[in-house]
Amino acid sequence: MTENTLEELDGSFANQILETVDTLVVILNRHGEIVFFNRACQLLTGFNAGEALGRKVWDFLILDEEIDAVRGAFEALNAENTPSHFINYWKTKDGAPRIIEWSNNTLKDEDGAIAYILGTGVDITESKSKEAALYESKSFLRAIVGASPVAIITSNEKGTILSFSRKAEAIFGFKENEALGQNLTLIIPEPDRLRHDQYLNHYLETGERRIMGKARQVTAVKKSGERFPVVIHVNEFHDGVRVFVGFIEDLSEQKVTERRLEDVKNQLQHIGRIGAMGEIAATIAHELNQPLTAAASLAGAVSLTLRKVEFPQRDDAISHLNETVSEIRRASEIIRQMRDFMRKRKTAKSLHDVNHVVEEAIAIALIGAEAGGVHVTTDLGANVGEASLDRIQIQQVVINLIRNSIDAMQDAEKKHLAISTAKKSRFIEIKISDTGHGLSDDVKKRLFEPFFTTKEEGMGIGLSISKSIIDAHQGEITAIEKESPGVIFSIKLPVGGHDKAAKSQ
Amino acid sequence: MTKLQKVNKGEVFLIDDDAAVRRGVAALLTAADYTVSIFTSGEEFLSEMGSLDIDDAALLVDVCMPGIQGLELQEKLNRDGVDLPVIVMTAHGDIPMAVRAMRNGAVDFLEKPFTVDEVTTSLERAHAISRPVIKGAQKASPELCKNYDSLTPRESEVLRNVVDGSTNKEIARSLDVSPRTIEVHRQNMMSKMNAKSFAELVRMAVALDIGD
Repeated sequence: MTENTLEELDGSFANQILETVDTLVVILNRHGEIVFFNRACQLLTGFNAGEALGRKVWDFLILDEEIDAVRGAFEALNAENTPSHFINYWKTKDGAPRIIEWSNNTLKDEDGAIAYILGTGVDITESKSKEAALYESKSFLRAIVGASPVAIITSNEKGTILSFSRKAEAIFGFKENEALGQNLTLIIPEPDRLRHDQYLNHYLETGERRIMGKARQVTAVKKSGERFPVVIHVNEFHDGVRVFVGFIEDLSEQKVTERRLEDVKNQLQHIGRIGAMGEIAATIAHELNQPLTAAASLAGAVSLTLRKVEFPQRDDAISHLNETVSEIRRASEIIRQMRDFMRKRKTAKSLHDVNHVVEEAIAIALIGAEAGGVHVTTDLGANVGEASLDRIQIQQVVINLIRNSIDAMQDAEKKHLAISTAKKSRFIEIKISDTGHGLSDDVKKRLFEPFFTTKEEGMGIGLSISKSIIDAHQGEITAIEKESPGVIFSIKLPVGGHDKAAKSQ
Repeated sequence: MTKLQKVNKGEVFLIDDDAAVRRGVAALLTAADYTVSIFTSGEEFLSEMGSLDIDDAALLVDVCMPGIQGLELQEKLNRDGVDLPVIVMTAHGDIPMAVRAMRNGAVDFLEKPFTVDEVTTSLERAHAISRPVIKGAQKASPELCKNYDSLTPRESEVLRNVVDGSTNKEIARSLDVSPRTIEVHRQNMMSKMNAKSFAELVRMAVALDIGD
């Protein structure tokens, strides 16, 4: 190839094309001097063809710090004859740097030797700066997410975790790399764990917002298996694909909440202790009073019999027997005082949403309790409504039954605790069903008797108190045997609370 | 059913689930010249009632038993129109039940353990009431009404609470005064009402239609 060939090119059809394309086209001879500088190059740099032709590119177009690199690339092309890609700055006539992405190639003469270097380039200054801006804003966002005192977790439509903030690591005990790619159910305990996919699909299909956009208090689970209360706020945004973002606050971390829960627990325990003492006292009083009654009656019988016969010390004997009866009465009176002293507080009933009362009881019964592989499901009926009840007492009963159920399933293969509520015509029923060892006939008969227990460390007071509480609500508590192993405890409370017809049968 | 010797002060049907109590009370009533028929449960009594002569008889029944309880039995007898005077036996905790029994028409209630005099007085009342002449004697007398009207508001409040089965301590708490104050009110109230026993007070309260 000679100078002539370029001159030929100059006026050719191909040349006209090269002049009109937006792509930068520059051709250098083997010395690095510009022999072709198309219109796009002229527009970009502000140098016209006359100013550019014959000059070496690194003499006027290349930033000082890049001159060596560009010369190196040029030499390499000259020697190796391999096409290359290259990104470097060109400076325009007024000194502004532009970023150009180059595809370089060589043009050969008839002998196959390299004659010219052809560079075609695209000005990527705008897109580069966008990318830099994007990069900057992403790291800005990352910094915010990292500093957030609220845990932030994002997921895709399938529930796969896409990001897991530092606070999330602290709250849940999972490292980011353990959580990424896992399903969100990683941090959701039973019973919602199994249903989460269903919830997601339901939302994706219907768009019906259940928790989306609202703050909601739920129970979450840590890596250790410990359950704890959180407030979660879920939203979605589109970043090409749909992304869900959850802001999660650990309620157990909040001292106020912690104290409140602790208060409720203490209150329940205190009531429980008083209830237990009252129950014990009432039982002892009743059990002791029966033999005292028999004894007083027998003494009375003897005294009456003696009045019908004559013998020297008869009057003394009768008076001793009467004293015996008085002493028995005194003993009975002492027992009565003891019982009154430890008497359970009176039931303080008011209208409560039964589902709410039960939900709270479940939360208290399960929090802090070792998960122990128990699968918990709840089915709280719609329209269960309100009943007149003593909230603390009813919660005490529900908590007691849940704990019993968990204890009963300790050695069971399948551990399923199901809690449900339902409104029947004249009463509201709360059911607690387990898959534990069930009840033997003997146990079933004596279930609600005070001081009867099958637990090694039990006092045999829990169910007895439960029964007296439910009795005080004019309700009914029964144990129903299941066909499969396990027991269902059923509590029936009168609707509205004034209906004494809760005893269904 | 076990029937013990027949003398002539009348018959008593005794129902209690506790064997020792049955034995003791039956011995007492027999010694007091009553004829006693013993039943271990409300169900047993109901199943044999058809063959019993209930004229000139009284029913002495424990309020707290497994199966049919005293109150349920009483309500069933009322429904069936069985004219049998009922005395209920209560343990300590059963004051509200005793009051309900009285309201349902029980002649009296006895707190266990009871003395010879208490049980025989009750039975005499029962046997008297079963004679038609004295029926309706439980209505409040003018004298009782006068006594009740002489109570201060605080005293009548204490009366209402007492017959509902509240202890002095509980009444004190609900009225926000000391238990000692309630004790004083209670004594004054008892003497103004001319009630010699708690059972008598409950009987008066039922006649006056006071309380829960």
